[in-house]
Amino acid sequence: MPLYDAPLRDMRFLLDELAEAGRLRALPGCAEVTPELTGPVLEEAARFAREVLLPLNQTGDAEGCRLENGVVRTPAGFPAAYRAFCEGGWTALGADPAYGGQGLPRSVGLLVEEMVCSANMAFGMYPGLSHGAYSAIARHGTPEQRALYLPKLASGRWSGTMCLTEPQCGTDLGLIRTRAVPAGDGSHRITGAKIFISAGEHDLAENIVHLVLAKLPDAPPGTRGISLFLVPKFLPTEDGGPGARNGVACTGLEHKMGIRASATCALAFEEATGWLVGRPHKGLAAMFTMMNEARLGVGVQGLGIAEIAYQNAAAYARERLQGRALDGTRAPERPADPILVHPDIRRMLLTMRAMTEGCRALCALTALEHDVSLRHLEPEARQAADDFVQLMTPILKALCTDAGWEAAVLGMQVWGGHGYIRDNAMEQFARDVRITQIYEGTNGIQALDLVGRKLGAHGGRYLRRFFHPVLAFIEARQDDPAMEPFLLPLAKAFGRLQQVTAELAQRGLRDPFEAGAGASDYLRLFGLTALAYAWARMAELALPRAGEEAFYRAKLATARFFMQRILPETSSLATKVLAGGSSLREFADADF
Amino acid sequence: MDPIRRVGVIGAGVMGAGIAAQVANAGIPVVLLDIVPGAAEAAVARMLKTEPAPFMHRAAARLVACGDLDRDLALLAECDWICEAIVEQAEAKRALYARLQPVRRPGAILSSNTSTIPLAALTEGMAAEAAAQFLVTHFFNPPRYMRLLELVQGPATRPEVAARIADFADRGLGKTVIACRDRPGFIANRIGGHWLQSAVNHAVDLGLTVEEADAVMGRPFGIPKTGVFGLLDLVGLDLMPHVAASMKAALPADDPYVRAMREHPVILGMIAEGRTGRKGKGGFYARERGPGGERLKRTVDLATGRYRDSEKPVLESLALRDLRALAGHPDRGGRYARAVLLDLLGYAAALVPEVAEGIADVDAAMRLGYNWRYGPFELIDRLGAGWLRAALAAAGRPVPPLLERVGEGGFYRVEAGRLEAFGLDGAYHPVPRPEGVLLLADIKRRSTPLARNGSASLWEIGEGVACLEFHSKMNALDPGTLEMLGTSVAMGRKGAFRALVIHTEGEQFSVGANLGLALFAANIAAWGEIEGLIEQGQKAMRALRDAPFPVVGAPSGMALGGGCEILLHCDAVQAHAESYIGLVEAGVGLIPGWGGCTGLLRRWAEDPRAPQGPMPPVAKAFEAISTAQVAKSAFEAREMRLLRPTDGITFNRDRVLAEAKARALALAEGYAPPPAPAPLHLPGASGRVALGLAVRQQAALGRATPHDLVVCDHLAETLTGGGRDPVDAVTEAELHALERRNFMALLRLPATLARVEHMLETGRPLRN
Repeated sequence: MPLYDAPLRDMRFLLDELAEAGRLRALPGCAEVTPELTGPVLEEAARFAREVLLPLNQTGDAEGCRLENGVVRTPAGFPAAYRAFCEGGWTALGADPAYGGQGLPRSVGLLVEEMVCSANMAFGMYPGLSHGAYSAIARHGTPEQRALYLPKLASGRWSGTMCLTEPQCGTDLGLIRTRAVPAGDGSHRITGAKIFISAGEHDLAENIVHLVLAKLPDAPPGTRGISLFLVPKFLPTEDGGPGARNGVACTGLEHKMGIRASATCALAFEEATGWLVGRPHKGLAAMFTMMNEARLGVGVQGLGIAEIAYQNAAAYARERLQGRALDGTRAPERPADPILVHPDIRRMLLTMRAMTEGCRALCALTALEHDVSLRHLEPEARQAADDFVQLMTPILKALCTDAGWEAAVLGMQVWGGHGYIRDNAMEQFARDVRITQIYEGTNGIQALDLVGRKLGAHGGRYLRRFFHPVLAFIEARQDDPAMEPFLLPLAKAFGRLQQVTAELAQRGLRDPFEAGAGASDYLRLFGLTALAYAWARMAELALPRAGEEAFYRAKLATARFFMQRILPETSSLATKVLAGGSSLREFADADF
Repeated sequence: MDPIRRVGVIGAGVMGAGIAAQVANAGIPVVLLDIVPGAAEAAVARMLKTEPAPFMHRAAARLVACGDLDRDLALLAECDWICEAIVEQAEAKRALYARLQPVRRPGAILSSNTSTIPLAALTEGMAAEAAAQFLVTHFFNPPRYMRLLELVQGPATRPEVAARIADFADRGLGKTVIACRDRPGFIANRIGGHWLQSAVNHAVDLGLTVEEADAVMGRPFGIPKTGVFGLLDLVGLDLMPHVAASMKAALPADDPYVRAMREHPVILGMIAEGRTGRKGKGGFYARERGPGGERLKRTVDLATGRYRDSEKPVLESLALRDLRALAGHPDRGGRYARAVLLDLLGYAAALVPEVAEGIADVDAAMRLGYNWRYGPFELIDRLGAGWLRAALAAAGRPVPPLLERVGEGGFYRVEAGRLEAFGLDGAYHPVPRPEGVLLLADIKRRSTPLARNGSASLWEIGEGVACLEFHSKMNALDPGTLEMLGTSVAMGRKGAFRALVIHTEGEQFSVGANLGLALFAANIAAWGEIEGLIEQGQKAMRALRDAPFPVVGAPSGMALGGGCEILLHCDAVQAHAESYIGLVEAGVGLIPGWGGCTGLLRRWAEDPRAPQGPMPPVAKAFEAISTAQVAKSAFEAREMRLLRPTDGITFNRDRVLAEAKARALALAEGYAPPPAPAPLHLPGASGRVALGLAVRQQAALGRATPHDLVVCDHLAETLTGGGRDPVDAVTEAELHALERRNFMALLRLPATLARVEHMLETGRPLRN
């Protein structure tokens, strides 16, 4: 069984030092979020992940889910683990205290999610989807809907889904065919087929709340005509319990490359009773508010896999003896040196580590802004924070999931042939994490979101929330020689990003194809520059204490590695974006 | 031809008073009489408070002599032209004309501003001498701003009479005069009234919402975005039944206009409830307060007459850019477009020659009288005459002979670089341009530019004069514009032309620097690039002024910010009277950075009639720039020193270029560039403190916001010479450096960026 020790020291560092914990605690409802409170929460989460979830990861993968007479059976141990998860209060962590939640900020919630994903990403899908449903109803539901459903979702007794995809319609939701017809009593009758519905049917919760995109009879064409409906598996009774079975059934389970313990269902809605959430035809907007959260959550899945892949690769590299170090034997008493001494192994491990810790830091900074955007008393501060989250969401989703995949693959590589053997679990990380680059909007779609929606929004206002603080950070430290190894590369990458951003925006305005052609490379250029900023900030915190504690020493060394061996990629990315899209456009369709 | 020296207007309603104001704007004394005692005075007083203002400057109001019709009829004895604008009743008008007969001096011209009554009805029983001096002069509302004058002569009208009024209306009042046949509603209201009626009918019949109908009518048709229902709100719903009754009485019963007349219960109900439009309690659109005091936009449901929340129209057909594609789309937007087009174009094509001599007159009348982008025949050309014939035939409608005759050609063509229109004789004839009218559009048809980029072009406009034209969106100034300014100066230096005119024929001269670009650059903290652009702009302005050839600015419409700064650096300006000039940067939290602060300061400092000394010019420039004041006419711009006393003002927009060109040629004789600007004695730190105190008093009175104070402090520092000792003279280079520094400092502030963003997104200033 792979090992997993939650990176609590790093998490503490991010929460208490990097993410300006003072700023977090100044927010309404966050005064109590002190190390004394969060410490035990994170430790308990780490214990739960290691002792309860991790042992079910490989067995769940091997066993998968089964569909029996319309009922989905999750792998052995999952129902009990889910019960323990609910009893531990983990489903209610970020929920509103008014609905039985603990009201903890996203800054803490995201760290817990990472641990769950590291230990058992497939298991994490079930509460993860409930979380999205909770957010959608909390923000767009009626007071009655909130009162009825939110406590159930918070306690985990009921779980949730997001039903978007249909056989003919994935990214382009304008093509949706599922219909909703008013029943005359305020409810609607929903009919249609949905596929790829995670947690669409299972034996963990007593009821499932489906959030379904469908079209009303008078819907305008395209994405402007989509409405959001709440369709429970069992219709709630007067006293709020699960009542009569609704017209929704699981018609099949997908056989997938990874996250095999997560039930990916085809659902058939047949005159199912549903209720409108939010305004008619505004379903996509409602869905998008929670999609932003979900996308950040997917980024955290990538991060979680990257972390566990790194831990197991590093552990293996310490133990596995092969060859001798190029710069002199290290363990003459043993038949060979541990492979850890080989520069290419070190390159792989440090790449995994630098990307993982950098992404975690960027996620923490974004989670803090997310909390500010939800809780701050000043509207301007809320807006500025929300701008930052809007901007970073597509970047983090793509950057963290790419990092997750890269780390999983490098982890297998460190293990050599043994990484390819199922029993060693390294290949499972790769299979599990691969989906994160695809679902919740492929990473290509994230790039289009960044370039098409986020760049130009409000005259580039979202960008200001990144460019201005970063420039201020650089300018304020220009005379600090100790920071030079971090500041110079950051400033260089930042200048490149400025230039490419201006150029891409201008070209994109004239010709959207150009914007699309540069989007993916631009997103990575942006992401790496943002990582450089995060690393420079972490380095600054680590500099004075590198002699005191190995943690800071490693931090500083990793920061150097990032600046020297990863960040230069921005140079080639900038060149690629500026090369333009002509070579993509000119290739004849027929020649593909 | 005898000039018109004095004008009488009878009837001080909206039209009469507005006509009188426009005559006064032209500098001609005018007598305004009304049957109701005191009504004329009241009308003038009201007009001084009206926005948009009927008067171009306050002094113009003093040219209006008010009186009561019964008591002051004798005042009309001195008038060369008496324009009647009383109630639309033929009998009342005829009775008035009879009363004027003994008063009117020999040779004086009498006209009626009727919009529907045929001239023949008005001259019934009129003495032959009077009838020879009579015509219809139909202005459009508001008379200052609408450029169309429909002119109808009777069989007895002397041609010189018509020519004299036409010339005065054209050069003096700035109108495009269209000769109309003596038919009810003349051209514009005949076609426009029928279109309104048809567009309402089809919207109701096809089940469109008010928003959908207006959206289809708006951009796709090239009609102002008020569309049809918004236009009815603007003119007043209650006017519709009146116009309908009047046209019904005058037109044959089988005229398509009469057949289209229909009473809509919903509209009648709205009129009965006083919901007659913007002047009443709201119309098809209304603004209401919600329970929480929030502003709500509401729209009438055409089926029920009740208000509901306004909705953005969502129709697939609305995404179509091509008019023909729109009219062929099966959704209700497409069916609506098709139905209205068939009515409108079929009717218009059948009305030539009944209402006008030619198609170009009809198109001009609709463009200028209804602000359409395309007249009906231009619309037909966009659709194709064949398409329209087939569509009419498919609908079982008659195909007008003129439409048959035009065959596969268009109603317009360009032949040897000249615009020609299809004539009733089946041949094409050049569209005539009055003597003294020079249009860039005509020049562009027959030549290629001397230089061109995406933002501006340089054209040869004859006799060695070049014209620099902007053509970016709203003519906003961007790096391309600056580059073209530089190219123009360089070409002029090499002798490519003798003089340069800067002129555009779009709605606006220039709305100033492209704020969207600036905001984006500021958001990504590209400070070096932005400062470089400011410096480049200052250089371009100085190069313009110091060029070895004369530069004449010829604005029409808005010349704001950078657009104003260009004018400040021209040797002379020949401005359309409807020029709206101002340094508006403070509205977006900035100060002028392309020499505008320096330029306006110098105007005041060098004005011998203005108070002298270091402080007065600073105070004057500070007041105008800090409040982002915009001149509402060329005359106001003169008062604000944005124009010099020697700068010319042209009333007719079509004549601006020709007069600017003449000005440029006159300057080119023995031209020498102006001497290097002398350093200015500015008040320095003490002046800055004084301005700061004054602004803080305004703030204490609630007249200045917190960010206003910040902007004012940067402006004060710039205008007072940046804390220099008052005995030092400050050079232009130093002032330009101050402009740059303070501009850049302001641009870094979040409050400024919020203002810029707000302006770009809402078109309104943010008061933060």
